[in-house]
Formats: sequence, structure tokens, C-alpha cells
Amino acid sequence: MTDARQPGKEGGAVAPPDPWDPLVRVTHWLIALAVLLNAVLDEGGSALHVWVGWMVLAVLAIRLLWGVIGPAEARFSAFPPAPRAALRHMKALLRGRPREHRSHNPAGALMVYALWACLALISVTGLVMTDARSPVTIAEEKAAVAAGDWSVLASADDRAENGEIKEIAEEVHEVLANLLLLLAAVHVAGVAVESRALGRNLLRPMLTGSRRG
Amino acid sequence: MTLGAVPPRGPRSARRFSAALAVTVVLQTMAALFFVADAVADLAEDPAAPHSIFEALVALALILGVVMGVWQLRRTLAQMRQQERALDTARGSLAQVIEDQFDAWKLTPAERDVGLLALKGLDVAGIAEIRGAAQGTVRAQLTRIYAKAGVSGRAQFASWFVEDLLDPDPS
Repeated sequence: MTDARQPGKEGGAVAPPDPWDPLVRVTHWLIALAVLLNAVLDEGGSALHVWVGWMVLAVLAIRLLWGVIGPAEARFSAFPPAPRAALRHMKALLRGRPREHRSHNPAGALMVYALWACLALISVTGLVMTDARSPVTIAEEKAAVAAGDWSVLASADDRAENGEIKEIAEEVHEVLANLLLLLAAVHVAGVAVESRALGRNLLRPMLTGSRRG
Repeated sequence: MTLGAVPPRGPRSARRFSAALAVTVVLQTMAALFFVADAVADLAEDPAAPHSIFEALVALALILGVVMGVWQLRRTLAQMRQQERALDTARGSLAQVIEDQFDAWKLTPAERDVGLLALKGLDVAGIAEIRGAAQGTVRAQLTRIYAKAGVSGRAQFASWFVEDLLDPDPS
């Protein structure tokens, strides 16, 4: 009696890690939470919104570092952007016979890069909009204004000179935020479809892993 | 089904440790980002102030901490993988030893199944339930297995396979 559920012994010759390594899991869910918070729940421009944005930058930074020095499946080299392979994968998926891959499948890999690009650009445009003031500073200034000290608004006037750039940044920030939500929805749908086609729950490796013990 | 119903404790605590390490590294990165931004703003304002220089030092220490944490996490994960492989190999080897010995005792397929379940620590009732057989049948099969193996009973049967692992004088 052998264990039929041992990693790498089911499906194709190679399969994504089950579970994914802890850093990939932690960063994945923090980003998901951050997107949910900043796109849906909190108010744009609020101190909380800026806090969350800064955290996204940090999470993105550590994940990108992990993409260089992390374990094999978490590295960029395991899932290079390959549009043609992604197309092939989508076709195979439509026929109901997707192949297993050692990391993200080629279509999933494109999604990962698209999401990262969106997150990075949204964060950077957010920094432009707030003059890269830290959330602590923003909260302090808001508290000062609320307490009747309007002097901070004078310094805000000094910063208003590159208003045009800020307007563009704001436009980009909003368009990309909507695109990000759209991509996230496609990502979730993709996981559902692929799970069904592979006959294997792809969500579980991102949570705790499928194996017992 | 793996040999032994009890999950291994080592790999499990290692997994918990690596998860805690990952959370710590992410928190450290957040702290580092905030502090570095603050330090950069202060340095831009007054580069020569002792306060600024100290902040820059702390920022550097935080970044170093992140890098070391990531490195430690990487090593822990690599070690876990290696241990898992070793464990798989050991499991495979033990399974092979058991298979070979069952061959040597010329057990029938039904007896092999019963023998393996007995080695896993199931009692007669449990084996009967899994195999959908009467307890009397299982008892008879166990008796035949012990006879073929030339052992007195279950304890001696089980110890047959661990004896070699308990060699007090490994040479």
C-alpha cells in the first residue's frame, strides 16, 4: 500500500508545490486583503488607505526579492512570461485537458505579472498623489486640521505646483484600480475552472496544503 | 495510506516554524519600509544631524534583518524538503524490506494485507472491518502468518522488522 497522494506523484510528472511555501501564501493573502480593503471598503485618500498602500509596497518588495532568492517554484525563472505557452494552455483548458506545471501555469504566470504590474503602478501613482508623505504624517496633518490648525494646509499649497502630474497620476491610479479588480475576478474564475479541469482543489495549497500531517 | 497513522511531529513543527518566519519577515519588511522612508525624509531635511545618522543606521539594520530573515527562511525550507525526501526514502526502504520478507515467507495476497494492517497496529476487529471479513477469518489468517514467520505472536511479528533498526552496536 503506497501513498497515492504524495507530492509530485499525482497528475503529471511535475505539479505545483502543495502547500505553496509560507512566504508565497502570506504575501498572497495580504495582497488579497489589501485589494479588498482599498478598492472596496475604505475611503480613497484616507489615512487607512495610504497605510494599506504602503503595506502593499512592502509585501510586493519582499515577494519580488523572494522571486530571485526563494525556492525554485517561487522564482521568476519557474514561471517566465510566455504568451504563446499561455495561449496553448488556455486551449488545452478549453478542451478540458490542461497540463500540470511545476509552478504557476503559463496563463496564471501572465496573470501574476499583470497583477504585480498593476499593484506597483497603483502604489507609485498613489505616492505621487500624496507627495510620498508617510501615512503617519498624513494622519497627523489630518488631525491638526481637524483640531483647527490650518497651517499644514499652507505647506500643502507649496506642493500643489505639479498639479498636472498629480491629476494624471490620479487618473492612472483609478483606471488601474478598476483593472486590478477585473484581473482579480478573472484570477478567481481561472482558479475555479482549472481546479475543475484538473479534478483537484487548487485553493487548498494556497491555504494550508492538501496533505495530512 | 502511509505506514503509521500518527502524523510525524518533526516536519509539522518545522512547517509551523517556517510559517512564523515568513510572517515575521513580511512584518519586518513593512517596518523597514516605513522606517527607511522616515529616515530618508529626515536625512533630506538635515543630513548632518546625529538623529538622522542614527536613523539611517537603524534603517540599515532593519534591511539587514529582512535579508537575513529571508535567507534563514530559504534554508529552513530547503532543510524541510531534504528531510521529507529522507523520510520518504526511509518509508520506501522499510516498505521494501516488508515486501521482501513477506515474499520470503510465501504469504498469500490476503495474508500480506492482513499482515501489513497488523504491523500498522490494527487489532483483529479493525482489520476485519477494513477487509470486510469475519473476525474469525482474520484470526485464522494471523495464526497462519505467525506460523509461516515462525514467531510466537503479534509482538514478535512486529519486532521482526524493527530489530535491525535497534542494533545497539552499529558498525
